[in-house]
Amino acid sequence: MSKVKGLFKARWASSLIFLILLFLITGIADPAFLNYSNIISCFNAATMYTLLAVGIAFVIMTGEIDVSIGSTLCITAAMTGLIAQQGGSVALMLVVCLATGATVGLVNGVGVAYFGVPSLIFTLGTNSVVRGLVYILTGGRTVENFGGAIASYGNKTLFAEITVYYAIAVALVAISHVVLTRTRKGKYFIAVGDNAGGARLVGISVLGTKILAYVLCGLFAGLGGFVFASKYGQVMTVAGTGYEMTAIAACVLGGISLSGGLGNMIGAAIGAVIMSSISRLLVFIGLPSTYDNTITGVMLIVIVVVDALAQHRSVEMSRRKRLLSRTAENAPEGGGKA
Amino acid sequence: MKTLLKKVFKRWEVFLLVFLVLEFVVFGAANPKFLRPNSIMNSIVNYISVCIISLFVTLVMITGGIDIQAPSIIGLTSIIIGVLWSDAGLNIWLAVVIAVAVAALCGALSGFFIAYCGVQPMVVTLGGSFLYSGLALLVSSMSATPAYQGISGFPAKTEAGQYVGFRFLGKGTILGIPTQIVIYAALILLCVWILHRTKYGERLYLIGVNQQAAEYSGINTRAVIMSTYVLSAVSAALAGMLLTANVNSAKYNLGSGYTLAIITAVVLGGTLNTGGKGSILGTVLASLIICILRYGLPLCFNVSTQNLDLPVGIILVLVVLGREIAGQNMLSRFFRRRRKQS
Repeated sequence: MSKVKGLFKARWASSLIFLILLFLITGIADPAFLNYSNIISCFNAATMYTLLAVGIAFVIMTGEIDVSIGSTLCITAAMTGLIAQQGGSVALMLVVCLATGATVGLVNGVGVAYFGVPSLIFTLGTNSVVRGLVYILTGGRTVENFGGAIASYGNKTLFAEITVYYAIAVALVAISHVVLTRTRKGKYFIAVGDNAGGARLVGISVLGTKILAYVLCGLFAGLGGFVFASKYGQVMTVAGTGYEMTAIAACVLGGISLSGGLGNMIGAAIGAVIMSSISRLLVFIGLPSTYDNTITGVMLIVIVVVDALAQHRSVEMSRRKRLLSRTAENAPEGGGKA
Repeated sequence: MKTLLKKVFKRWEVFLLVFLVLEFVVFGAANPKFLRPNSIMNSIVNYISVCIISLFVTLVMITGGIDIQAPSIIGLTSIIIGVLWSDAGLNIWLAVVIAVAVAALCGALSGFFIAYCGVQPMVVTLGGSFLYSGLALLVSSMSATPAYQGISGFPAKTEAGQYVGFRFLGKGTILGIPTQIVIYAALILLCVWILHRTKYGERLYLIGVNQQAAEYSGINTRAVIMSTYVLSAVSAALAGMLLTANVNSAKYNLGSGYTLAIITAVVLGGTLNTGGKGSILGTVLASLIICILRYGLPLCFNVSTQNLDLPVGIILVLVVLGREIAGQNMLSRFFRRRRKQS
C-alpha cells in the first residue's frame, strides 16, 4: 500500500517538474520569457481549464467520464451574458450558472449511476441536448455586447498580478484536494473508482458518490461558463466545443487514471496549466502556432506511454520479487518468469 | 405480451429497424417530398464519413477499445492528397495511395501504444487526435495555398458535365446510385464478412469479453487489437478521400466535428463500449437513423439545421435509458462489474 501511495506522489510531482522544465526550455530559447509576469500570466490564462479539469477529475476518479462539460460551459456562459444584457446582478448570474451546472450534473449522475447507462454514451447524449438548448436559448445568435460589472472582472488582479478568478480557482483546487485526501466522504471518490464492488461491500454508497461527483463536475463547469463570459465578453453558440477533451487531457497529464481510483486534484490543476500554456510558450520559442496541436499530441502520448511503461515495470518487479522469495529454495530463475 | 416484447427487444437491431421504418412513415406522411430517392441518397452522402468510419470503429469497440482520433485522420488524408497533388505534382492516385498509407501508419502507431504498452485507448487516441490534426495543419502550411482556403480544382469533369477520375468518387453515379453509397455498401459487406464470418471476427469478440482468456487460448491479442486501429484509420482515410472528392477541396480541418457523431452511431447501434458485444448491422441502422433524422426534421417539421443537436440528443438519451430500464443489459453490467473488480 505504501508503494502505491508513493506512486501517487511521484506522479503529480513529475507533472510539476515537467511544467517547470517546459518553462526552463522556453527560457533557454528566449531568456525574455523568464520573468514573473510572463509566468504568472500562464497560470492566469489557465483559469477556465483549471476549473473544468478539477470538476471532471471528480468524475474520472470514480471511474466514469463526462463529455458534456463543453456544452455546459457554453450554456452557462450564454446565460451569464443574457443576464448581463438585462442588467442583472453578478450574484444572480452566479446562482443561475451554478444551478444550471448542478442540474446538468444531476441528470448525468442519475442516468449513469442510477440507470447504469455507460457514462460515455449518456454524457454524449446530454452534450447534444445541452448544446441544442444553447441554440434555443440564444436563437442561434452570438450573445455579445454585455457590459456592466462582469466585463471588468476578467482582468482584475488580487495581488502580485494574480487575477481574482485564478485565485478563486486555486482556492477551490486546494479545498477539493483537502476534502479528497483528508475527509472520510472525500476518500469515497477514490475508493469507488478503485473498486466499486469493494466500496459497496464496506458500506459506501456508490450511487450517491457517483451522483455527487457529476453534480460537482457540473458546478465547476458552470463556474467555468461564468469565467468564460466575463473573460471574452461574447459567447458564440459553438463556444466550449472540444473543451471536454482538453480537460480530460489535462487530467491525464496530471496523473489521473482514466480507469478511476488514481490521482489527485493538484495534478489536474497542473495539467490544466500545461495544456493552456503550450500555445503561449511556442510564441516565445519561436515556432508558429501551427505546431500547437502537434506538440500537445506528442507530449500527451509520450507522457502516458512512459507512465504506463513505468507502472507496468514496477508491478512486474514487485511480482517478481514476491515470486522469487516464495521459490527461492528450488527454482530462483524459473519462478521469476511466471 | 411481455415475453413477446422481450423477445423483440432482445434483438436490438429489430428495434432499430422498426425505429428507422417509423421515421420513414412519419416523415413521409408529413411531407411527400421526403420520399424522393435522390434526396434520401443525398442525405446519406452528406453523412457518409460518419457512416463509413463508424463501421470500423465498431470493430475497435468490440475489442473493448475506443477510437476518437479517426476524424483528425480525415483532415490529414485530405490535406496530404491535396498537397501531394497540387504542390508536389504527383499523380492523384499515387497521392491517394500515399495518404492511405500514412493513415495506416498513424493507426498502427496509436494501436501499438494501446496494445503493446498497455495505455488506455481513450488517452492514446485523444493524444492522437491532437497529434494528427496538428500534423494536418503542418502539412497544409507546406502548401502554396493558404490553409483556410483549401486546395481545389481536382480532376476532372468532362465537357458534358460528367465526373471522371478522382472526382467520380465524390460526385459520380453508378447505375443512378452515387458512387459513395456503392462504396459504403461494399464496405458494409466487407465488415459483415470480417466480423461475422471469419476467425478474425470471432477473436475480436473473444478479446472484448476477456483479453486474458483470449491470450491463453493462443490468440496474439496484441496484434489483433493493433490491427483494429489500423483498420479504422484506413477507413477514416477512405472517408477523407471521398469527402475531398465530393466537396472538391482539400482542407486540414475536414471532419473535425465528427468525433462524437461517430461514437454515437456505434453505441446507438448496440455496441458495448466495454467490449464483447456489437454488430455491424446495428451500427449501419443507427447511423442511418441519425442521418435520416438530420435530413427529415428540417424538411418535414421546419426544425432549423442549427437546432438538430437537441432532438438527436434527446433520442439518444431516451433510447439508451429505455434499453437499460428494459433490463437487457443485466448480463453486460454484471461483466462490467466483474472486470472492475479484477
